[in-house]
Amino acid sequence: MASQRVLPQSKETLLQNYNKRLKDDIKSILDNFTEIIKTAKIEDETQVARATQAEQDHFEMHVRAANIVRAGESLMKLVSDLKQFLILNDFPSVNDAISLQNQHLRSLQDECDKKLTSLRDEIAVDLYELEEEYYSSSYSLWESTDLPLCEVYRQRDGWASPGSSCSSAQGDREDVDGPSSQETNPQLHLNGHGTPSIEK
Amino acid sequence: MANERLRALEDVEKEIAMILQCAGNIVLELSKDKHNASLLDRQLGQFQSSVNRVESELSAQIRYLTQVATGQPHEGSTYSARKDCQMALNRAEYAKVKLGELGRTCELMLEQQQQQQQQQQQQT
Repeated sequence: MASQRVLPQSKETLLQNYNKRLKDDIKSILDNFTEIIKTAKIEDETQVARATQAEQDHFEMHVRAANIVRAGESLMKLVSDLKQFLILNDFPSVNDAISLQNQHLRSLQDECDKKLTSLRDEIAVDLYELEEEYYSSSYSLWESTDLPLCEVYRQRDGWASPGSSCSSAQGDREDVDGPSSQETNPQLHLNGHGTPSIEK
Repeated sequence: MANERLRALEDVEKEIAMILQCAGNIVLELSKDKHNASLLDRQLGQFQSSVNRVESELSAQIRYLTQVATGQPHEGSTYSARKDCQMALNRAEYAKVKLGELGRTCELMLEQQQQQQQQQQQQT
């Protein structure tokens, strides 16, 4: 708790410091500028020779102009510090920025997934036909555990209504070239890629 | 909201530059033999208004920060949403790659088929 009490006080001190710097720099600019204008007035009576007075005024104006520039630089540094403080400690705006960014990213993700889903739905039809064509041709090298999509759908229909065309699917499979081992419990791979069965 | 405050501070920086420029123009005008009174008045008015604007704007920002600032660091992040989005983009990229492969395979098969047909025609 003691450490928690220290931190806010340092923030308080920092902000008071910013206030002081602001007031000092503005005061410095105004005072030095006013003095330059006053010094610019030519007086008839001077305590020293006119040339000496002119030289003194010239030097004074240089110094005061340098003070104005220094105060301007200090104000720029103050603005930079305030920007940094704002970015780090302005929680309402940081929260807004985070929630806005999250919203934007989520909408992008949703749009991407929606397009992928519609692409999947469109391609599923074509893929069905492609697989049917491929696995009924002489080029296929599939195993009985690695069923094509069309075959899976036929078997599912067969299980749903047992008197359907399961036997015709069995006959089609035997006609195809390539390694075909008959297994009692075929694992269904909907994507057409064979994966080895995991031994328990 | 954060951008507005930061833009306001950038405007303050421009005002500070304007202050110095006005002060320089006034002194330059005073250094001439014949002064342009209207120009002097304009520059002086601009100088004073810029100084007042800078002071009021910076005081307001410091007052706002006094109300809002705590001693704690902010622990929010957009990491999870960014990661999810990155995964979605990776999924899309993967689907694109796979579709490209499928397209190339189909084209290859078609070419082979055409070559076979040409060979058969040549033989006959």
